Amino acid sequence: MYVTASVDDERCNGCRLCILACPEPNTIVHFPAPQKVRVVAARCKGCGLCVEHCPRGCVSLERPPAAAGA
Amino acid sequence: MSLDITRINPAFADVMPQEYKDLVADGPFGRQLGVRDLGTFQELLEEHPLCAGCNLALAFRALVASLPNPEDSVLVGSTGCNSIAFPQLALHNVHSLFGNQNAVASGLKRALTLRFPGRVKDVVVVAGDGATADIGLDMTLHSWFRGEKITTVMLDNEVYANTGGQESGMTAQGEVRNMAPTGKKFEKIRLPDLAVDAGCAYVAVANTGNLARLGKVFRRAVLVAREVGPTYLQVYTPCPTNLKMNPAGSVGLAKERGKKDYGFREHLTPEAEQCLAAREGTAGSGEEEKNAP
Ligand code: SF4
Repeated sequence: MYVTASVDDERCNGCRLCILACPEPNTIVHFPAPQKVRVVAARCKGCGLCVEHCPRGCVSLERPPAAAGA
Repeated sequence: MSLDITRINPAFADVMPQEYKDLVADGPFGRQLGVRDLGTFQELLEEHPLCAGCNLALAFRALVASLPNPEDSVLVGSTGCNSIAFPQLALHNVHSLFGNQNAVASGLKRALTLRFPGRVKDVVVVAGDGATADIGLDMTLHSWFRGEKITTVMLDNEVYANTGGQESGMTAQGEVRNMAPTGKKFEKIRLPDLAVDAGCAYVAVANTGNLARLGKVFRRAVLVAREVGPTYLQVYTPCPTNLKMNPAGSVGLAKERGKKDYGFREHLTPEAEQCLAAREGTAGSGEEEKNAP
């Protein structure tokens, strides 16, 4: 994918609202300890719904490093 | 136990795909999970082939995560965008011909009732607006008239999305679509009202703007269909591709419509109310919904 979501680990409090806005199954995964989420970049289509719905503004859309030079 | 049917034969363990192993180790079978647990377990839906930001896929996630008994459920689909997500389901599912879904589901429900008299088998139709309200309207209505104990879910994106964007009976009046450039000429079909008149025990209207509520009403629809009679759930699932909008704003649009003309509604017959009071009375733990092992 040209863009995928990525989460700022420092600011994420694991509220999981991004997961409820994501149409892709098993793409944003929740880790209970510490309370964080992680994006599985290979599954992300970069729609940006998680970016819109994160109340802390800690999700952004980026080009993954492999595609950046392309 | 139902999980036994998913368990891997040790002789094949090394050749099974990782997703399947994850499903056995961390799937929802035999557990009572819901929308609020998304992201913490292996979902029944795998990588769907629908467009980026598809609200239909979002609703689909919520529905399969909220099935009270996934191991004993059969989903019946029809032609439409959602039908291309069906092969990614780790559930029993049937693809019917365009519009036939409620007839197929009725037969299936009756056959399963005869074949497994001691077990609860939920049959759930998930189809688009074209399959439910246009091409399959006769079969949908007649399954309701006959009182078939099935749940019908319409994922309403108000357009024939995977054939290029023709208007459907569910498109709102005046709306312009790719292949309806001058706008829809007549009113959106009032299928929830028809469902009430046709004898559905439980009818609800929801949207992707509130996933927790969507999961809850879907669960209610399945439980009422199991005991009382036919149920109908209509979900607004905007299609960013055909509406030519930024996918990131699509749930916002669902919320906006939810405040205007696509708000949450629920209709219950007295029997459905009784059924849900008995089921949800114990703080909705859901444990009592399980089949005996
Ligand atoms: S919505 Fe934001 S804060 Fe909440 S879990 Fe997702 S990334 Fe973290």
